[in-house]
Amino acid sequence: MESFPLDTVPEAGEIHMACFTSVKNAADLKERFQAQDKSLTVAMIESTLIMDVIQLLLAANRAAQDHAAGKLKTQTLSSEIVYNLSPTTNIAESLKRFGISESTTSLVAIKIGGEAEEVMEEMSKTVDGNLVSFSKLDQEKDIEKLRKYYKIDPKAKDDKTILNWIIGAMAMKSI
Amino acid sequence: MIHDAQLIKQGAEAKVYLAPFCQRQTIIKERFAKAYRHPTLDKKLTSRRVVQEARCLTRCQKAFIDTPTVYMVDVDQSLIYMEYIEGFSVRDYLVTTEGGLPVSQSRLAKEIGQRLGLMHNIDVVHGDLTTSNLLMRQESQTVVLIDFGLSYVSNLIEDKAVDLYVLERAFSSTHPNTEVMFAQILEAYGESGKASKQILKKLEDGNI
Repeated sequence: MESFPLDTVPEAGEIHMACFTSVKNAADLKERFQAQDKSLTVAMIESTLIMDVIQLLLAANRAAQDHAAGKLKTQTLSSEIVYNLSPTTNIAESLKRFGISESTTSLVAIKIGGEAEEVMEEMSKTVDGNLVSFSKLDQEKDIEKLRKYYKIDPKAKDDKTILNWIIGAMAMKSI
Repeated sequence: MIHDAQLIKQGAEAKVYLAPFCQRQTIIKERFAKAYRHPTLDKKLTSRRVVQEARCLTRCQKAFIDTPTVYMVDVDQSLIYMEYIEGFSVRDYLVTTEGGLPVSQSRLAKEIGQRLGLMHNIDVVHGDLTTSNLLMRQESQTVVLIDFGLSYVSNLIEDKAVDLYVLERAFSSTHPNTEVMFAQILEAYGESGKASKQILKKLEDGNI
């Protein structure tokens, strides 16, 4: 697991994230997520849609800020992080696309606030899978889906251009 | 505002900060309230300007015109978080030994002209074209357009001609003996825009 500072709302704690592969209980987690299970305080994200950790950090910052201002668009802070990854304001579609599905085998777990050790324990208890290093993120991108979801121009070829496009689309979702 | 933010520039409309954000050096542009305006009106105008600036930036990005990537927009606090460009302004470059050479100037002029042509093709009018608002990336030495604080979307030939006129004035007032370079900018501009010939004609005719 890695922890990052929450730049915009530092008083809310840090952003904790961990990557899991060979996940076996995705169906169960997805069901709990959709049922708005309050005991599930960790957001889970389809890791093939993450090109770079900055996507997660931006989504988390925005969520924490809106949470502090009492302006969440979704029910919980966790679902807000998932929602913020999407470039559209369609909540159901955003959660479906960027949240995990029954068939997900690799995911990113993310949580804002709490002591690192406790969060780590909570994440390992919640997700039945192998904890892997963050560098794994690079290896399993689903570029086709990313292109479709973020409406990326076919002329955008290199990773840097694609990533900037994604970041721009996320930033403009609310305005 | 992020607490490590360092004020790097203060203009008439906004303050510009440099701060760590999401593991990157980030520019945060804050539009501040104008005390002479009615608070309600001020809030409305300011947030509209913030949105407009962010939209023009992403509109350019989507047309592959190099501009800072917008990271986050906070309309409530009138903040735009965007990419920090490592490099230097064309203004500073032109006074260096290398930047004074005709060969560097004509290379640069060609690039600036093309960028502006592309920008006008997608109907973005910059509104404040100066050599300080044209940066060169350190790594690639390519031109980046910055400060879209006065930008707007318009398809009017007049608006685009004024954009070029502003740049012409900026050149003649800050950089003596760059008439040739400016002519080269216009030449490249004329070749890359859709309606650029008409726009250049308008500029030539004056009375804009």
